[in-house]
Amino acid sequence: MMKRLIAVCALIATPLFAQDFSEGSNAKTWNLYAEVPATFEAEVVDILCTVAGDCANACADGRQLGLLRSADNQLVFPNKNRQSSFNGAAYDLHPYCGKTVDVDGLMIEDEDIPGAKNIYLIQFIKEAGAADWEKANKWTKVWAEKHPEAKGKGPWFRRAPRVNAAIEADGYFGQGLSHEDAYALTQ
Amino acid sequence: MKFKVALAALLMAQPALAAEGERVQITGEIIDTWCYFSGVMGGPDAVVGSAHHTCALWCSAGGIPVGLLGEDGEVYMVLKIEGDDQSASGDTQMTLASHEIVADGMLYKRDGLNYLVVEKVVEDRGITNLNHEDYGVVPGFAIPKPKK
Repeated sequence: MMKRLIAVCALIATPLFAQDFSEGSNAKTWNLYAEVPATFEAEVVDILCTVAGDCANACADGRQLGLLRSADNQLVFPNKNRQSSFNGAAYDLHPYCGKTVDVDGLMIEDEDIPGAKNIYLIQFIKEAGAADWEKANKWTKVWAEKHPEAKGKGPWFRRAPRVNAAIEADGYFGQGLSHEDAYALTQ
Repeated sequence: MKFKVALAALLMAQPALAAEGERVQITGEIIDTWCYFSGVMGGPDAVVGSAHHTCALWCSAGGIPVGLLGEDGEVYMVLKIEGDDQSASGDTQMTLASHEIVADGMLYKRDGLNYLVVEKVVEDRGITNLNHEDYGVVPGFAIPKPKK
């Protein structure tokens, strides 16, 4: 009896964390040190609700969303979507909150950096079992719809009103240096 | 029968529900977690502080999760600050980008990550890590050439 119990404990405690989710992945590399392709099924959840039980405003716009992986109940935190301009993943996940999805992307697990575990860059998403994948690249489109006043040339982060106001107030280093002085320090 | 009961008890003990929180007070810097965890723009020392401040603003505005890099070297993923649950591109977290703060709140741990609900920013010390003196600006294009 005791041996069986110990065996079950061992099964629960270790091997699930070592599962390989790279099989079948079509994720493109970002040439990151600790990236591993990973595709899996998961429920899209509100992290604040799931972790802290703060659920009154669950799945509302502006809250971080996570992926509760079906295979092992691990909570994966998508930090990044597939775009290359400082975009998170919440806008891409938001339409699926509460639903079960398939995702494909890159998992970051770096033993040398405390906390770098279950961090994910999502590249593709679809409802579980659906035929067609969607690219996780909605951020800039959603942002543009929310900020028509910031329409213009160049990347969004050069036009973002809050960012520009912060730089105007405190400078690029946050130290109050003028644009010219800050730039001179980088030359 | 005893085996089944024991197994059921073990399975029920797995973290299916919200974890128990712990009251903590943590001093650290508000960082953008993607650059820190991924190494996409360099090593951990270069993607914090004043050198990375502009990028921290971009990432915070862009909805990349912010974290509190504690003095203990641990990263605490910030889910809420003083009642503001806008942890994806919210105003409160953005005003604290790169700042050293003392945060009082509840800590939750799950699947290798620390999650922090900040109930009060006890102290905001501003940007104290002046690492632009060592690294310049990270990434290099963050400060455009001034127009004459």
